[in-house]
Amino acid sequence: MDIAFMTKYLPMYERAAVLTVKIGLIGIAFAILLGLICAMIQYHKVPVARQIVAVYIEISRNTPLLVQLFFIYYGFPKIGIMMQPETCGVVGLAFLGGSYMAEAFRSGLESVAKIQSESALSLGMNRAQVMRYIVLPQAVSVSIPAFVANVIFLLKETSVFSAISLMDLMFTAKDLIGLYYKTTESLFLLVVFYLIILLPVSLLGTWLERRVRYAGFGD
Amino acid sequence: MKNLKIKKLLAVAVAGILTVGLVACGSSNSDSAKSDTASGSDAASGSYRTLDEIKEDGTINIGVFSDKNPFGYVDENGEYQGYDVYFANRLAKDLGVKVNFVSTEAANRIEYLQTGKVDVILANFTVTEERAQEVDFALPYMNVALGVVSREDNVIKSLDNWNKDDSIIVISGTTAETYLTENYPDIPLQKFDSYATAKEAFQNGTSVAWANDNTEVIAFALQNKGYTVGISELGNKDTIAPAVTKGNDSLREWINSEIETLGQENFFHKDYEETLVDTYGTDYEDSLVVEGGKTE
Amino acid sequence: MLDLGIDVLFKGSNMLRLLSGLWVAMKISLVSILISLPLGVLVGALMTVKNRVVKVIFRVYLEIIRIMPQLVLLFIVYFGTTRALGWNLSGEVASVIVFVLWGTAEMGDLVRGALISIPKHQFESSEALGLTKRQTYIYIIIPQTIQRLIPLSINLITRMIKTTSLVLMIGVVEMLKVAQQIIEANRMTSPNAAFGVFLIVFILYFLVCWPISMLARYLEKKWNIA
Repeated sequence: MDIAFMTKYLPMYERAAVLTVKIGLIGIAFAILLGLICAMIQYHKVPVARQIVAVYIEISRNTPLLVQLFFIYYGFPKIGIMMQPETCGVVGLAFLGGSYMAEAFRSGLESVAKIQSESALSLGMNRAQVMRYIVLPQAVSVSIPAFVANVIFLLKETSVFSAISLMDLMFTAKDLIGLYYKTTESLFLLVVFYLIILLPVSLLGTWLERRVRYAGFGD
Repeated sequence: MKNLKIKKLLAVAVAGILTVGLVACGSSNSDSAKSDTASGSDAASGSYRTLDEIKEDGTINIGVFSDKNPFGYVDENGEYQGYDVYFANRLAKDLGVKVNFVSTEAANRIEYLQTGKVDVILANFTVTEERAQEVDFALPYMNVALGVVSREDNVIKSLDNWNKDDSIIVISGTTAETYLTENYPDIPLQKFDSYATAKEAFQNGTSVAWANDNTEVIAFALQNKGYTVGISELGNKDTIAPAVTKGNDSLREWINSEIETLGQENFFHKDYEETLVDTYGTDYEDSLVVEGGKTE
Repeated sequence: MLDLGIDVLFKGSNMLRLLSGLWVAMKISLVSILISLPLGVLVGALMTVKNRVVKVIFRVYLEIIRIMPQLVLLFIVYFGTTRALGWNLSGEVASVIVFVLWGTAEMGDLVRGALISIPKHQFESSEALGLTKRQTYIYIIIPQTIQRLIPLSINLITRMIKTTSLVLMIGVVEMLKVAQQIIEANRMTSPNAAFGVFLIVFILYFLVCWPISMLARYLEKKWNIA
């Protein structure tokens, strides 16, 4: 391996990593928010909003991010909305991630048997209390594995950002290979940076999963 | 500070693990390569097929672009077409073998050659010194000069004294990208992975200029109102050449002699007239075509 | 104004090429999921055993697959096996191998999650009934786990179909690559074709993935009550 080459282009990877993490985290934060709203609307069966959410979830989950980004980046200017590539990346990730997060939260909420919230209500708790003390603790512990998997999945989805000219880690690696033909070195750096970003997330996820297992059957 | 330390530590750990893995792979590499496939090839630089082996097999594998009109693309009937493809078909014909086209990308061309999965790459390959360390180039068959197109109300005539807030659009993997990266490292480049997306972005006004092969920018300015080519010749002329796996001398020498022979019948002029004239017109024929491998 | 350039799809066999690209994507995903399903169940079951070594090995496997960018895995399997072992895998086979590695890891994690969510009293009751460990797994635990898993694994199929766009990096021509080829082949005659072609691609992905998602949702509902 060509160490000189790797040191020379390390700063490029660092910039790409910062961009990947920045857009990834902001996009995921919005995805979580969007997912929570959608899951709540579905859980409480809010009329009309519920149908809209259902349509959104199906479209978002059943089409690839690459094609979604294309429409956000190249379609919106046609109707007069200009966005920076960074904004597009965030919007795209939030649009895709919102549905995945909504599904993770929904499965958690639905895993809590109806009889529990009914019992709690009959004990005189109000709706907010039921949510806070009965439903959420159990729902969260069920949702955590899917939630963590989604975070990692969404961070890795940044790899299609080359389509909207964002210099994320993947585009940087592909670009360098195309320029200098140093495949091994470029991919090695790519793996190292993905590892630095994703390993902590994955480990944190495992830790969280153990930590919040209130509804501890099994183990 | 602490963050940096952790980062370094992690990097070292990973490097360690991966190196062990790579070394393990590497050692098994030479063993197995010796025992089976790679007859007469040198295992260290990967395997390749010599001229005789290709002839014996009856098929030559040629890597071309499948989405770079008019050099290498697929037409509406699913057939490969273009300047590079026209040449590839002739190579196969004169070698007396069938041709198998492999669709390549800028980022995997090199890997295809180094693993011997293709015998030749004819994918608009610009010759540079750095690349010549990784592959062997045959004689050139085309010139490439660069141009810069910009808006009529803000014509870019020079790349010196660049305003750092402005960026230039380039397509990843093109000669323009290589040239600007080497010669104007301070100019921010907005990189795209396809012509279609680069064009959209340029027309949406995200960058002040677009650098590409000069034939491309001239064609663009002709087709789109409000744009003009402020720089029509940028830097030295580069050349495009076929590439073979490093060390595959028998194939490279045959291609060289083939290019020289083809020069006698003005083959590449004919190639230009068949494939490029619709896009670039006849004005560029003599400046673009390299006949018989001789530049200037 | 409304020239979306969809007409380029009706030239020659373009539409057919696009559809066969979609078929390539579906074939790779379906074959991969069929292989990943049993392997994932096995891996998931092994991840719940008490043996530390086994646990660590599979944990590491899962982390590696999760973290490695799929592009790198594709390069390693497609080009790496040629360099190291002299194998000459086709792009499709290499893609299936990578997707199986990935699918097995994801499925294994889902199986693990499903297994540990099965109440302990089920194990205890079957033990009390005199079932051996093996019998417990075959008759009690695995059928329940599979029921929970089928909807999740169907969702994995749609995710795979959507990820197949990466296989163009190892020379496999799937729908997005065909779309790119069509757009670029017509860039001079229909410069705005990108929009229309991508719109059709968008719709085609949806038409394929949506019924699969619906099936998952239907099965989930049906079995939840049982």
